[in-house]
Amino acid sequence: MSEKIRYGFYSGCCFQGADARFFDILREVFAKVDVELDLIEDAVCCGSGVIEERSELTSLAVNAKNMAHAEQMGLPLYTPCSTCYNVISNAQKRMKEDPAVHAQVNEILAEQGLEYKGTCKLTHTLWVFAQDVGLDKLKERVTNPLTGLRVASYYGCHTRNPADIQGYESADNPTSLEDILEVLGVEIVEYDTKDDCCGYHLAWPNNDLNMKMTSNVLEGAHTKDVDLMVTSCPLCFKSMDGTQAKALAQTGKNFQLPVLFLPELVGLACGMTSEDMMLKYHGVPVNLRL
Amino acid sequence: MIEKITPVRKSILANIRIQRFTPSEHKSAYFDNFKVSVETGMTVLEALRLIKNTQDSSLTFRAFCRSKICGSCAVRVNGKPVLACSTQLMPILEDFKKDSVSIQPLKNMPVLRDLVVDIEPVIEKLSKMHPYLMENRERIPETLEEESIMSKQEHSRFDYITDCILCGSCYSACSAASADPTYAGPLTLGKAYRFSADVRDSFQGERMQAAVDQGLWSCAQCRKCINVCPKDTRPAVSIQRMRKMSIDDGIHDTAGSRRAKAYTGDVAKYGQVNKPMLPVIVNGPKGWAAIEAAENYLKKHGIEPTLQVCTLGGQSSTQKIYDKVKELESKGENKT
Repeated sequence: MSEKIRYGFYSGCCFQGADARFFDILREVFAKVDVELDLIEDAVCCGSGVIEERSELTSLAVNAKNMAHAEQMGLPLYTPCSTCYNVISNAQKRMKEDPAVHAQVNEILAEQGLEYKGTCKLTHTLWVFAQDVGLDKLKERVTNPLTGLRVASYYGCHTRNPADIQGYESADNPTSLEDILEVLGVEIVEYDTKDDCCGYHLAWPNNDLNMKMTSNVLEGAHTKDVDLMVTSCPLCFKSMDGTQAKALAQTGKNFQLPVLFLPELVGLACGMTSEDMMLKYHGVPVNLRL
Repeated sequence: MIEKITPVRKSILANIRIQRFTPSEHKSAYFDNFKVSVETGMTVLEALRLIKNTQDSSLTFRAFCRSKICGSCAVRVNGKPVLACSTQLMPILEDFKKDSVSIQPLKNMPVLRDLVVDIEPVIEKLSKMHPYLMENRERIPETLEEESIMSKQEHSRFDYITDCILCGSCYSACSAASADPTYAGPLTLGKAYRFSADVRDSFQGERMQAAVDQGLWSCAQCRKCINVCPKDTRPAVSIQRMRKMSIDDGIHDTAGSRRAKAYTGDVAKYGQVNKPMLPVIVNGPKGWAAIEAAENYLKKHGIEPTLQVCTLGGQSSTQKIYDKVKELESKGENKT
């Protein structure tokens, strides 16, 4: 039995309601590659970049708290959510660049006996699979290669922009998602709208625009005759799967494109079943010939 | 120690794929391929000039200063908007691990010919944003002998945007601008914030309304504009700050401002966003339809719907953070 890789698990806000299933799915899929998630118990919502629209200092303090707890656990902070990753990484960068702000944030945290040292390492599903677990080990655990499946890969924006939000791979030409997919055995299909934003964060302030943007991305992949789209971002997943029917109806398009959250496809390739991955909860039916 | 800082000179025979289009002659754009010996240090602009001088004099592009300051040479290289004059080809060939690279005109603007786009529609949007100072009598002295002095901190609120050279890279990268031609786009909102954040300005209200009317809340905060800006002007950050100013200014009747207040309040209360009730909080009574749809969706999948918010563990201590921030802000000691 090889040694476990452990992370402080920051769950974020996206796994509520029907998506609460992803807590268990993530743990089970990660167990297949010897990864263990220790929940960061005292975490708070990262604010999704929205708290900044009221108070930047509040957002920094809240996310320094999240990182301080991971530091106390002595583990890297892992979040499955790309927006959480972006917001927390941004807070980390802001405090590193401005020691006065860092000191002020610690003054705020001191009231609850916390200190954010600045040593916390951040990571995301993409780099857990592609780098920490590694493609070799992942390959070993793939028992059901998904050969012949035509897949459109979609990163979403928040693990890519701005360029210095991550130090794991090239920002202009990231390959972690495709590297993982290749190991799973699928055929990766290029399409024009891959770098476009799905507009998830407009769901509340401007829903019509969110629907148009989601529809644009889906159509780009659909015209390449893919079997499904895979995304590493759970919020893009909500847009692409949960609101797909509405987005396409509103923009006068008529097709269905199954969308999978990356851990689901990894699970399927590692021998787990559609039932294990609870694919029946998808908004767009997923009927794969596995 | 000269040898240590001199880069290794490399040369790659690269295929430069350039998008061509003359509206009066062609139905749609197409690509031409040019073989160029790309050497270490060669910029995109140098490659374009070399092709024009030695291979095809009809190739059309725009460039002037060659110093990253006039903003006229912005093009897309492998899909990413860059300034041709300040971007070297070799690192791109190495990053993409290919000996081929594509050069295309900026997106979201009409192509006049080949790599030249018409930026006029963007400038028109900018002009509606009142991009100038309206004097604030409280800060501008009566006589010419006195200067209008601002503190370093006041200056730092907008200093970073004054570097914007209107190259249009951020506008090209913006998916919201692609999907909604009426949306003002990153650079115009960035400029609007630049003037609104200036203490010498007194025009806040009208400019703010212009920004709200032109899509202040249509930015998805994907942050691509920050990534592509050659001058690091961070338009998405300016948009966040402009949103804060608009709420502070009393513009509360937008779904965006209601969301901002809901998120901020919820995190203090529950340590978490109250997602089940968000539709009603943001959209008022008509949000109940969305809640019903969500409940039906859950029921269909055999999950019992609940309007209970799923709190996070840090809930109990979050209020302390908020109180302390409020205390610092009220004393004017906020260092952000």
